[in-house]
Amino acid sequence: MAGDEGAEIYEEREESMDAAVDKETEIKTEGKEDENVLQFLDSLDGYLTLMDSVNSKLREGWFDLASARHSMGTLRINSTLLDLKYHPAASTFQVTDQEVGSLGSVPRFALSKWVSKGGGSPKGKDFSTDTDSEIGSPLSQQLRHRGVSEKPSAKDENTLAADEEIKKERAKSLSVFGGLVSPKLRGAQLSFETALETLVEIANMRASMLSAFERITEK
Amino acid sequence: MYGFEALTFNIHGGYLEAIVRGHRAGLLTTADYNNLCQCENLDDIKMHLSATKYGSYLQNEPSPLHTTTIVEKCTLKLVDDYKHMLCQATEPMSTFLEYIRYGHMIDNVVLIVTGTLHERDVQELLEKCHPLGMFDSIATLAVAQNMRELYRLVLVDTPLAPYFSECLTSEDLDDMNIEIMRNTLYKAYLEDFYKFCQKLGGATSEIMSDLLAFEADRRAVNITINSIGTELTREDRKKLYSNFGLLYPYGHEELAICEDIDQVRGVMEKYPPYQAIFSKMSYGESQMLDKAFYEEEVRRLCLAFEQQFHYAVFFAYMRLREQEIRNLMWISECVAQNQKSRIHDSVVYMF
Repeated sequence: MAGDEGAEIYEEREESMDAAVDKETEIKTEGKEDENVLQFLDSLDGYLTLMDSVNSKLREGWFDLASARHSMGTLRINSTLLDLKYHPAASTFQVTDQEVGSLGSVPRFALSKWVSKGGGSPKGKDFSTDTDSEIGSPLSQQLRHRGVSEKPSAKDENTLAADEEIKKERAKSLSVFGGLVSPKLRGAQLSFETALETLVEIANMRASMLSAFERITEK
Repeated sequence: MYGFEALTFNIHGGYLEAIVRGHRAGLLTTADYNNLCQCENLDDIKMHLSATKYGSYLQNEPSPLHTTTIVEKCTLKLVDDYKHMLCQATEPMSTFLEYIRYGHMIDNVVLIVTGTLHERDVQELLEKCHPLGMFDSIATLAVAQNMRELYRLVLVDTPLAPYFSECLTSEDLDDMNIEIMRNTLYKAYLEDFYKFCQKLGGATSEIMSDLLAFEADRRAVNITINSIGTELTREDRKKLYSNFGLLYPYGHEELAICEDIDQVRGVMEKYPPYQAIFSKMSYGESQMLDKAFYEEEVRRLCLAFEQQFHYAVFFAYMRLREQEIRNLMWISECVAQNQKSRIHDSVVYMF
């Protein structure tokens, strides 16, 4: 009799322990689902904001191009002046697969602008556009440094030299329209350049959004 | 007080002056521009232009229209007016009218040479050339590798030949050399036109000197602003400025060393006629500079019609038509891009 009661108590305890474990697991699962939903909604918000931004930049670019045509004349800015000779691309685009925590494998898009036109190591600054490299992002793999860096002047010099190279590459791209172009044409170039960067960010945002959506819908 | 143009001008120039004043009356007014600014699409613009002198040129164009089509057809109207006047003109008016074409010839030469450098098809380039700047051997420009060949093979038999004396080098043509060639040719052309008008004397000389001096000064400012931050050196920049005008020579000395728009403003504000232009813009801004210069040019061109018995009315009419076409192009672009709020940024009203 005492043994039966003991067994019953043991079974009750086991059942209550199992129930507690199940409840804890359920809470953890719900928490993870909430995290996925929040991630999806954040990505969606970022995606819509970026789409708005790229539309605005493209409108600005086309308008600046029309302004430049008005200023310099239709003979100086038209499609017949574009260079048909073979030449390396001023910007390149890479796609890689990246393992990102809870999101699994996500395609990552990176843009390298104004790389060397002659091949070999890039002379210009490599503007890899990748949302993971944004400072402050929870997925950022950049280390945070506190205090003053050891060689600020060397870094500044390198930055200045890189900026000069980029300026030359930009001018070289515009030289199809002549050596002396209106500031409006340069403004149009910058607008389209920014739009290109935004498009790459949109691609990355869309990839993480779709991945988060898959996580939500899988059972 | 001039010579006795009133006694003799009408013998050879009276008919054409009457014609050009009639053409001037056909220029678009502020009411026309207001109607055009209300258009929703390019077909609306075509409909509004059908009631103007451009109507017959646009009526057969199929939809959907493009802004370049509107500009091309309106330019044909300008070309027809010019050719009618040229074929009726006698010396020295015919030479004066020929001078108006040379600027377009320079632009066409540069277009063909640049396009050839970029391996474009010559036929495609010829279609884009300005009709006023066409000449017989223009297609042969595509075979030249440097400026010496350009001159020897083609341009030696054209009116541009005298302007090449400062450009003749054996350097291969590249984008910067072509740009320097363009500006050097235009400088030589303006100086030659200026001397020709001075020889004519009378009201023609006085009014054209003012208009050409303004053109030279505006070119100097544009060259300065466009060369900021480029590889063009100060000495090369100064060589591109014309040797006449209000800014010559001291203004040119100061413009040659400018490194930003505010320094350009500082130079120009010392000259009262240009102080008014730059006062319309805020510091660091260059967006409205083009419009300000166009407005000043239109004001001077309209004043040319206040006097009679001179050739400057022909030059003024051609320039006013070109400005009108520029306005139409701008309005069309703003309507096509759904940016109607920005139309008034660059439209220059004449009357």
